[in-house]
Amino acid sequence: MSIDWITVAAQIANFLVLVWLLKRFLYRPILDGIDAREAEITNRMTEAVQAKDDANTVKEAYHDKARALHVAQSEMSETIRKSAEEKRDALLVEARQRMEREQASWQTHLDDEARKYATQMHRAGAGALLSLTRKALMDLADETLEDRMAHHLVHQLRPIADDLKKAAGDGPAAVVSSHDRLPVSAQDSLAAELKGLFPDVTADFKTDPTQAPGLILRIGGAELAWTVESYIDGLEALIGDRLGNSTGKKAQANGD
Amino acid sequence: MKLSPDQTVMFDAWGVPINATIFFTWVVMALLTTISLLITRNLRPDVPPNRWRTTLEVIVQGIQGQIEEIAQGPSRYLLYYAGTLFLFVAASNFLLVVPGFAPPTSSLSTTTALALSVLIAVPLFGVTNRGLAGYLKTYIQPSFIMLPFNIIAEFSRGISLAIRLYGNIMSGAVIAAILLTVVPFFFPVVMDVLGLLTGMIQAYIFAVLATVYISSATGSPPPPQSEKETP
Repeated sequence: MSIDWITVAAQIANFLVLVWLLKRFLYRPILDGIDAREAEITNRMTEAVQAKDDANTVKEAYHDKARALHVAQSEMSETIRKSAEEKRDALLVEARQRMEREQASWQTHLDDEARKYATQMHRAGAGALLSLTRKALMDLADETLEDRMAHHLVHQLRPIADDLKKAAGDGPAAVVSSHDRLPVSAQDSLAAELKGLFPDVTADFKTDPTQAPGLILRIGGAELAWTVESYIDGLEALIGDRLGNSTGKKAQANGD
Repeated sequence: MKLSPDQTVMFDAWGVPINATIFFTWVVMALLTTISLLITRNLRPDVPPNRWRTTLEVIVQGIQGQIEEIAQGPSRYLLYYAGTLFLFVAASNFLLVVPGFAPPTSSLSTTTALALSVLIAVPLFGVTNRGLAGYLKTYIQPSFIMLPFNIIAEFSRGISLAIRLYGNIMSGAVIAAILLTVVPFFFPVVMDVLGLLTGMIQAYIFAVLATVYISSATGSPPPPQSEKETP
């Protein structure tokens, strides 16, 4: 065992060469790579922090926008709600008015229909009453209805003769109109009666098919009617009063 | 039986005989350089490291961590020197398992060369770091009387380093050779495995001791104690 000093010198040289080689091809590339990677990581982390800050800024801006949109949405909703309420109220008012108009129209139509029906009923009732009365008078008493009606008009004229004179003034004629032509006997008796009550007046007899059966006396500006219609009107008023009284009593009984 | 590879001449180069120590040293150098070159040739910071580069980084950073722990601070030149010492000794000892390979570290010439390089490196690093006066001042610390002892200690470090490395590696190889003649199977294998372990430990110890010596020469001197603190 001995030391070969030439080998020692060669090994020192080899070692120094190895130090340089490893420095050139191992340590420096590795350490520089690590430093570069650390710098890269640091840069990326800085960029990430910056990106995070930017993202936070954008997030805040987005939240602000969202809040503003929310407020705007609430205001818009409130405006729309108020507008809808106003529109609804207007529509309700319009609908109510339309309904009232339609109700009024319907009521008018109903009244017209009722009036027409009542008129028809009136006429039918009057016709029936007239036929029945005429037939009954003829069958039972051998009398005509027109004679009896003329006779009744004469009886009614007597109590109100003074009033008629005042209302007639200086009228030259008294016109007696009827639906059908009066019998001659009825005309004579009525003319004699009128002559007695109003000496200066001459009686004139006319027929009017549009007039209700009965007699209408016109002297000057005064008019005295004794027709089936007036009779039925009185009869209806009487029935209406009776029905109204009985309905009121029944409602009062139900209320009690 | 040849105890040292210095005695084995591999070939003549221009009339100069190249022995096994130098030849296998070149083999180790070529191996380390080639591996480093292959792994580090395409290093880019934006490309994730592969497993080989990661392995090298772990080794280099491990050496750097040890050096920084001993030297109390980063020093690239110390890394180059002590790291190369470790890698060279470790690779030489690791290649012991290769049949026909004679580790250069089993040559006293190699260990002497490494010890001499440490002996030269210590004052070089010391002078570079502290300046010539600052370094020479360490020889008379704590007093002028310590000068001869410090000089003896300086040389004894190199001798102890050389003998320690040589003795461990050469003894392992010699024991394996003897056991191979006595018991041809099993024991040489066990001894080789043990030799790998002791070789790695020796590489670590050699590099750490060299780092300690260089660090003691380059480290800043301790602050003077005040009179009140002196017992």
